Amino acid sequence: MREAEAGDAPRFLARLRAGETAAFEELVITYQHRVFGVAVRMLGNAAEAQEVAQEAFLRAHRALADFRGDAKLSTWLYAITSRLCLNRLAKGERRLRRQGEETLLRLAGGERPDVAVERGELEAALQRAIAELPEERRIVVVLRDLEGLSYEEIAEALDLELGTVRSRLHRARADLKDKLERFLP
Amino acid sequence: MSCHDARESLSAFLDEALAPEERQRVAQHLEGCPECRRELARLEQTVALLHRVEPARAPVGFVDAVTAAARPRPWYRRVVAAVFLPFSVKLPAEATALVMVALLAVYVFDRTPALQESARTQPEVREDPREKSARPAPPTALTDRFARDSSSIERSPESKARPLEKEQDRREAPTARERIASEAETPKQEAAPAPAAPRLDTAPPVAAPPAATAPAAPTSPAPGAAPPVAKDEGAFQKSQAENRQAPVPPTAEGSRGAPAAPRLAAKRAAPSADAVTGIAVRDRDAAERDLAELIARVGGRETGRRREQEATIVEAVVPQPRYAEFTQSLARLGAWRVEAERPDLPAQVHVILRLQ
Repeated sequence: MREAEAGDAPRFLARLRAGETAAFEELVITYQHRVFGVAVRMLGNAAEAQEVAQEAFLRAHRALADFRGDAKLSTWLYAITSRLCLNRLAKGERRLRRQGEETLLRLAGGERPDVAVERGELEAALQRAIAELPEERRIVVVLRDLEGLSYEEIAEALDLELGTVRSRLHRARADLKDKLERFLP
Repeated sequence: MSCHDARESLSAFLDEALAPEERQRVAQHLEGCPECRRELARLEQTVALLHRVEPARAPVGFVDAVTAAARPRPWYRRVVAAVFLPFSVKLPAEATALVMVALLAVYVFDRTPALQESARTQPEVREDPREKSARPAPPTALTDRFARDSSSIERSPESKARPLEKEQDRREAPTARERIASEAETPKQEAAPAPAAPRLDTAPPVAAPPAATAPAAPTSPAPGAAPPVAKDEGAFQKSQAENRQAPVPPTAEGSRGAPAAPRLAAKRAAPSADAVTGIAVRDRDAAERDLAELIARVGGRETGRRREQEATIVEAVVPQPRYAEFTQSLARLGAWRVEAERPDLPAQVHVILRLQ
C-alpha cells in the first residue's frame, strides 16, 4: 500500500501526466502484480491475464494526461482492469476458458500443477471456489478480500452503488463459505 | 430484526461497513441468536481463508513488455500495424503482394496501347479470311464510321465515279478528335471481334449516285489534326486494335508526333469497298511495287494510293474471277489479313489494301 500511496504523490502524478517514461515505468513496477492479480483471478488464465494487464497499462498510459486525480491511481487502474476483464468475459473472448482452473492452481510463483497440489488441498479448493463464482460476484470478492479495496473504492472502480457492492460481496462470501465448508473448523 | 435480514448484513458487519444504527441492530440480533452468531463465525473464517490466498505475481519481463509497448513506434511500424494488425484474419504478405502485382499489371496493360495491340493482333495475323467472313454481322456504328471516313482517301477519276457513301455524311464528317471521342464512347461495339463483312452490308448500294464532290470533301484529318491526348489515344487504339493487322510500336519512327491520326485515316479508308485487307510488310516501297505488279497481273487496276506515315493505302479494282488468286498472292508481300469482305463479291471487286 505504501507504494500505491507514493504513486499518488502530486509530483509523481505531474511526471506521469507529462508523459515521463521513467514515471510510467515506476507506475507499472508498482502496480503490475495487483493489476495482473485481478486479471488472472477473473480470467483464470495467465497468458490471457498478462494480455489484459498489459492492455490496462497501455490504456492508462494513453489516458494519463487526462487523469484528474479524483480517484486514487490504484482505484483507477483497478477500474480499467476490471472493465477489461468483464468485457472480455461478457464477449466470450475466451480462448482458454477450460484451462482456467489449472492456471488458478499454480498462480503463486508459477509452479507446476503437481507442485501446487502438494502445497495443499485447501489452497487448491480456495482457488477453485473463487474461479467458480459468477463473474460479477467474483470481481467484488477479488477486489475486496484479495486486493483489499474498501467498499467505496470498489463501488467507484466498478461504477456500482454501495449497496450493490455490499450484497454482491455477501453473496460471494456465502458461496465460498458453502464450498469451503469442510475446511472450516 | 429477522435472521434473514441479519444474515444479509453479516458480511458488511464483519467489514465494519454498516451505518452505526444498522450495526447496532445487527449486534442486538446476534446477541440473542446463536445460529446467526455461528453463521457470522463461519463467514469470518471463510474471509480468513481468502486472506491466505497467495497474491499472484506478474510474470518476469512484464514491466519491460509494457514499457516497450507504450513507447511510440516509428512511423513505418505504425503503417504496417495499420495495414495488418487491425484484422482478426491477418493479410498474408505474399498474397497481398500477388494481388498488388496483378493490379499493377492490369494497370500498365490498360495504359500501354502497344501491349494491347500485340496482345490482340498477333494471334489473328494468319487467320483464315473465310473464317472471318463467317463471323456475326458487324455493328452499325463501325459501318457508319467507315462510311464517314472514306473521304480521307484520294481517289482516281474512276473511283470518284463509284458510289462511295452518303455525301451528307462526308461533308459533316467530324474532326479527328471528335471521331476519336465518339469511337471511345462505343466500346461495346468496338470490342466485338473484328467484323467480317460488316460495313459493306449497310453501305450504300453500289448503284447509288456518284459522290461527285469526293475530292473536295474534308481532307485527311491526320496530318493537321492535333495529336490526341494520351487517354483518347488509348481509348482509340483499344477500340481499333481488332482492325489492326500487325503491331505498330508506338515508338516507331514518326509515331511520336501524331501517331493515332494517320492510323485513324488508314483505318477509315474502307468506305464502300468490297474488301479491306491489311498487309504487314518489311519494305513498303518494295511492297508497293510488288502490289502494283500483282494488281496488273490479275487484270485489275489501281484506283487510288496514299502514303501516310505508317501505312500506304492502296485502292484497286480486281476482277472477281481472279480475286482469290490475288488475295493468295498477297502472301508474297507479307503477313496479310482480310479485315472485311463482302460475302457476295461483285464482278469488279473494289479492294482496299493497307501496307504497313
